[in-house]
Amino acid sequence: MAAIAIGESEWEVAIPEKPLKDKLYFENLKAKVIDTNLCSRCLTCACICPVDGITAVDGVDFPDYEAKCTDCGACVRVCPRFVYEPKSGLGSYIEFIAGRSKRFAGQDGAMVTELLVSAMEMGMIDRGLFAGRDEKWAIEMFHVRDPQQLAITTLGGTKYTFADVLPALKKAVRFTKRGVGVVGTPCIVSGVRKLQQEFPIFREKVKLVVGLFCTENFHYEDISRYLKEKGVDFDKLIKTDITKGKFIATMTDGEVKFKVKELEEILPSGCNVCTDFTAVESDASVGSVGSAPGFSTVAVREEPAKKVIEYIKEKGYADFGEADTSQLNFLIGHKKEREKNITKPI
Amino acid sequence: MKKVTVPEQSLGEKVVKHAAAIRVAMKESVYPLTATVFYPRERKKMPDNFRGYLMFDPDKCISCWECAFVCPANAIQMKEAPNKRYYPTVDYGKCIFCHFCVDSCSGGALKTTKIHDVAYKDMGEMLTLTEEMIEEPEIIREDKKLVEYEIDEQDLHLKRTREVDTLFVEVTPPVEIPMVSQCIEPGSCLGCRICEEMCESGAISSIIERQVIKMAIDRDKCTGCGLCVKECSMQILRLVRK
Repeated sequence: MAAIAIGESEWEVAIPEKPLKDKLYFENLKAKVIDTNLCSRCLTCACICPVDGITAVDGVDFPDYEAKCTDCGACVRVCPRFVYEPKSGLGSYIEFIAGRSKRFAGQDGAMVTELLVSAMEMGMIDRGLFAGRDEKWAIEMFHVRDPQQLAITTLGGTKYTFADVLPALKKAVRFTKRGVGVVGTPCIVSGVRKLQQEFPIFREKVKLVVGLFCTENFHYEDISRYLKEKGVDFDKLIKTDITKGKFIATMTDGEVKFKVKELEEILPSGCNVCTDFTAVESDASVGSVGSAPGFSTVAVREEPAKKVIEYIKEKGYADFGEADTSQLNFLIGHKKEREKNITKPI
Repeated sequence: MKKVTVPEQSLGEKVVKHAAAIRVAMKESVYPLTATVFYPRERKKMPDNFRGYLMFDPDKCISCWECAFVCPANAIQMKEAPNKRYYPTVDYGKCIFCHFCVDSCSGGALKTTKIHDVAYKDMGEMLTLTEEMIEEPEIIREDKKLVEYEIDEQDLHLKRTREVDTLFVEVTPPVEIPMVSQCIEPGSCLGCRICEEMCESGAISSIIERQVIKMAIDRDKCTGCGLCVKECSMQILRLVRK
């Protein structure tokens, strides 16, 4: 007979200290992160909120918090920017390589898809969280549990808008048997790490965290309005890309190009204080800078990702090549400069 | 291939068998042996735990939704009552009378009856609202006799008695395995105290001392209803045997 796991009848929960003593934890979060324009919209708080009250319609907010908030402090515990320790640079890595998947098509070498699907085949994870998009290029989250689901072609490729990855993560963690794989921008990766640091469930269940190289991200409303002004027709849009300082929107009947600098006017405030380009806290970071066209640059940082890369090599699922870290220096430096934008709280 | 042939019989055997056949025919013509219950003048006696029309007691309901979750035919929908609680409604157009809802009801709010003869004018009427399940439905009874099936070694007999069966019986609930709620992963507790808010028996308590919330489940007060297990957003509460 298997031993029955019996839990505790009495337990203790440590709660963080409130900077503003008489206010609810969410009010503290609002005062310290959201109102000071530090919020990255990673939605880690929305993921953990026990009453699912935190939304991100027009900036992160908790409508009706006075009635609903249980004042548990979970949002403050997991927020990567409540006590903000900006990360920057290349981070530590085991291997720095370029890869091109033979099985999937994506932005460059489709290595993010390849990593997650291979991890699924290895049995390391049983579901991966993918960001897909609808015909209006708005983001939808997909729980991919079988590689065949990737026939939905919109799952691969970069989206330059925020995705609600973390609110989907809680559900994924609840239903998974083996583990979950997540992809996200550096802020999302930091959020996942914070969740794992605070709560053992996420430590056990989130097995693979793939980070993306990220200079900035845009709110869907802002970027769609901006692109429309530039003459981009969403019905004909095939792919968006940023290369060599230019934003390129490829459509069925031509291209729209403009300098990325022009997008600074719609740059979200949370990105303006972000210094992490390479997602230094991830298990593996993937991006296009640093490798030949058609290849993805992969910085393998942790043991789980290393195992997946070895599996891919063994099965011959991808071509590998050289990646050059020096090409990243410009963008790493560019983001490091944003450190000056962070105003230290009084 | 096997061929079926008429068995060889002697004249004596044939006479005996024919006589037996005539005897049965004579008996049936005078006192026919049928298994027909003359409903509605007669009613068959149903066992006490017969899975029939459902009755509901809102005082015992803890709004745990278990009946709606367990229903394999999706016949049970929870509707909000004026007192802000959710009570079940049953769509008899879908119900397969498995009575998983009765078995799953931890408070014993859903009860079975021996009513099996309900007629509806249309499909919409088959959706039985909560308030219609509380009061005993009005039934026009024409039955005078109660029929019981008796099966002996040879045959089925109908035993008729001059009595009228009560259709609403109190069934003694099965002996339940006592369960108690426990936290299986205290490290992942948010401290939101939703469990404490949900608990109707007051078994869960919390004390905030400086930067620590002390949570406790009183094993004696916990009824094992499972409301806290359902509501816990981190899914770290489980029902275990007491």
